[in-house]
Formats: sequence, structure tokens, C-alpha cells
Amino acid sequence: MEQKPLELVLARNFLTSLSTPAFLVDERGDLLFYNEAAGALLGISFEESGRMPASEWSKAVGPLGDDGKPMPIEEIPTTKALRKGRPAHGRFTVRSVRGDTYEIESSVLPIVADGGQEGAMIFIWPTDANSGNSD
Amino acid sequence: MKVKVWGARGSIPAPGPEMNRYGGNTSCVELELSDGSTLIIDAGTGIRSLGVGIAAKLPKVNILLTHLHLDHIQGLMFFAPCFRSESELTIWGPSSPEASLEERIARYISAPLSPVEVRELPCEMSFLDTPATEWELGPATVRAQAVTHRGPTLGYRIADAGTTLTYISDHEPGLGAPLESLEPEWISGYDLARDTDLLIHDCQYTDAEYPDHVGWGHSRLTDTLTFASRVDARRLMLFHHDPLHSDEFLDAFQETATERWSEMGGDPAAIEMAAERDEFEVIAPATVPAAVSRG
Repeated sequence: MEQKPLELVLARNFLTSLSTPAFLVDERGDLLFYNEAAGALLGISFEESGRMPASEWSKAVGPLGDDGKPMPIEEIPTTKALRKGRPAHGRFTVRSVRGDTYEIESSVLPIVADGGQEGAMIFIWPTDANSGNSD
Repeated sequence: MKVKVWGARGSIPAPGPEMNRYGGNTSCVELELSDGSTLIIDAGTGIRSLGVGIAAKLPKVNILLTHLHLDHIQGLMFFAPCFRSESELTIWGPSSPEASLEERIARYISAPLSPVEVRELPCEMSFLDTPATEWELGPATVRAQAVTHRGPTLGYRIADAGTTLTYISDHEPGLGAPLESLEPEWISGYDLARDTDLLIHDCQYTDAEYPDHVGWGHSRLTDTLTFASRVDARRLMLFHHDPLHSDEFLDAFQETATERWSEMGGDPAAIEMAAERDEFEVIAPATVPAAVSRG
């Protein structure tokens, strides 16, 4: 495995320390890491799930639109942030492995260094304290 | 590859009779490459004494700077070859989007901090950002990689005549990172230092001192040893001594480090504390076993 750029190394170390659920993706949107808080929300730790290509992890957890269907890729904040190299924010639903759904707000911050776009940090906040009940 | 330590101290020069054995000069290491040419890493105050000896002998010098904290560049203005018109100095260092390497160094070598300006130095001096890929300097292949410290900071790996030396003088690899268990590609500096014959690495703090210095950019003993073990360094030199650490303190620190290294399965003869004016040779891997046997 190729050495990760220092900026991603530091980002992962930073996200590890947070109580805010957070994810780290590479420049393609492939999942590199998520922290314990995110694992608690999703119902599966990163150690169990491991890295995933963008298509796989969006299929697993979302995001889902108001209609409960997967959001078009170009509307996903992560896609916007990676394509434009600018922060993006959105509100949508994600799904845990237990089948629970959570409405969340998400802020995505691209990581851009000397070598260009390296990835992004994704921070999420559940919007509804009562979310998480199975249908 | 022959190595001579001209400065092993970190942060600020620390002269004094209680510092004489390990030395009070800040970071500077001289390499004599297989063709007899010289490569210098860091220009702390230790470079002043180095320059006294080589000014007349070496018209061309390459200096690799890890970063621009004062303890790594402070000696540059007192480096004798700078004041000889026959000298050609090439200074390599980390790039920055903010200003060129020359402009950043000139903040120090300019008024009011200096009586001379960079442009006034008689030598021919050029400033180059380290390339993203490895490059050749004489017979050596050099690679630079960003490492965890405060501000843009590099580690260097120098390969020459079948031996390698990795110099990471300012490094906090354990910042927010479980070094024992983290996948290698996520360890700052891992790829640079992997399987190196000699690792010269930051070990500024004892484990007890570290909690008051988390995030300062320097390593505690446990993290230095773990890093060296993870990268399978054949020999480890502890570097960047804290200015508060006297000779007596460093003697005891060396003992502790050696014991801990042995407990980790390492060869106690393969770990040492850097001391000013130490000279030694980096030995090819065929003749020296790895410092730590990893099961």
C-alpha cells in the first residue's frame, strides 16, 4: 500500500480524536476511514467495514433523498466538494446496518495540498434526536 | 557513507559545561558520500564549526534543510563558505505557496535580524524546493517527504553505495496515531524510513515529559522506538536533544532507551544517543542484522 500523503495522515489522526461523526475520503470519493462516532451511527466500526469504493459505500449507507431513494451523485455534497474543490453542505438521510435511518446535515471540506486535491473530510450531524427507529 | 554529527540539540543552542559531551549546537549532520563529496543536512548552529573546516576545500556544497525553524537554519549566516566567492552553495528545502525558499530564509538573513542580507553574501547561492520525486546529488539518491511537525517539514532519505540513511530530526509520528497498530501507509514518514540502515530521529522528550508537549511537533521515547521498530531500521540514533537535558540526563535517557529497545526485541548495540562530533560509517545491510527482529 502506498504511503498516504501527510495531509490525509493528519486528517485521519484529527478525525480519530473527534466526537463528531466524520469520514475521510480520497480524491475519488473512496472511503478511507471513519471515526468511532460515525461507526456508532452506522452500526458498524471502520475496523469491521474497512475501506470501500465510493459506489459501494454510498450503496451501503446512502445518502438517500426525501423520497428514500439514493440521491443523484451530482447532488451529493461530497461529489460537489471533490469536483469543485470547495466546501459543500447538505441535508439528507443515511442508513445504518441495523436498518435505522437518520436525517443528517453534512459538511464536506476538501483537502487540497501542493499536489492538488487529495480527498475530503465529511462531518455529519443527526438533525432529529428521535431518528434511528426502524421502520 | 560516513557521517559526522555537528549539532544534535533541538530548539535552541544549549551551551554550558553540563552539556559538553552531547553538545549544545543545534541540528547539523555532515555526510561524506562514496565519491568523497559532502552533503550537509540542516544548518543549525553546528554548521558553523563544520564550515571552518571545509571552507577552503569545498567549492560546491549541497545543504538539505528539513524546515525553516530557527534551530535548523541559524548557523547558515555563520557558515564560512558563504563568505567565499569561489563557493557554490545549493540550499534545498520544503516548498511553500506563501513565498520562495530564498524569500523565507531571507527573513532571517536580513535586517533587523542580521547585519548582512542574503544577496550580499559573496558566494554563489541558489535555493531550490525539493522535488516531489527522488533526485541525484553526486553518487547519492535523495528523497524528501513531508512529515508530521509544525509547519512544512521534511524528512530525508539518502542512498549511496548500497547504504541508506534516513534523517527525520523533527517529527511527532505519534500525534493522534496509535503507532503500534496503525497500517504502515498511515504512519507519517514510514515509507521514507522503511528498512533504512541508519535512522536519525527526533527523540526530544521522555514519556513523562510528553503530555505537556503534545502537538509541539517532537517525539517521545516510546513513539521514536515504535516508529523505528515499525520501519525496521537497522540502527537508530536519537536526535534533537531538549535544551534542558544535560549530559547526565542524556546518559540516563540513553540507558532507558537501550533497555526499552531490548525489551522490544531490539539489539541494544543498535541504538545510541547522538553526540556532537560523533563520526561513524553507515554499514551495508549484508553485514549488520536488522535492529529489531519483528515476528
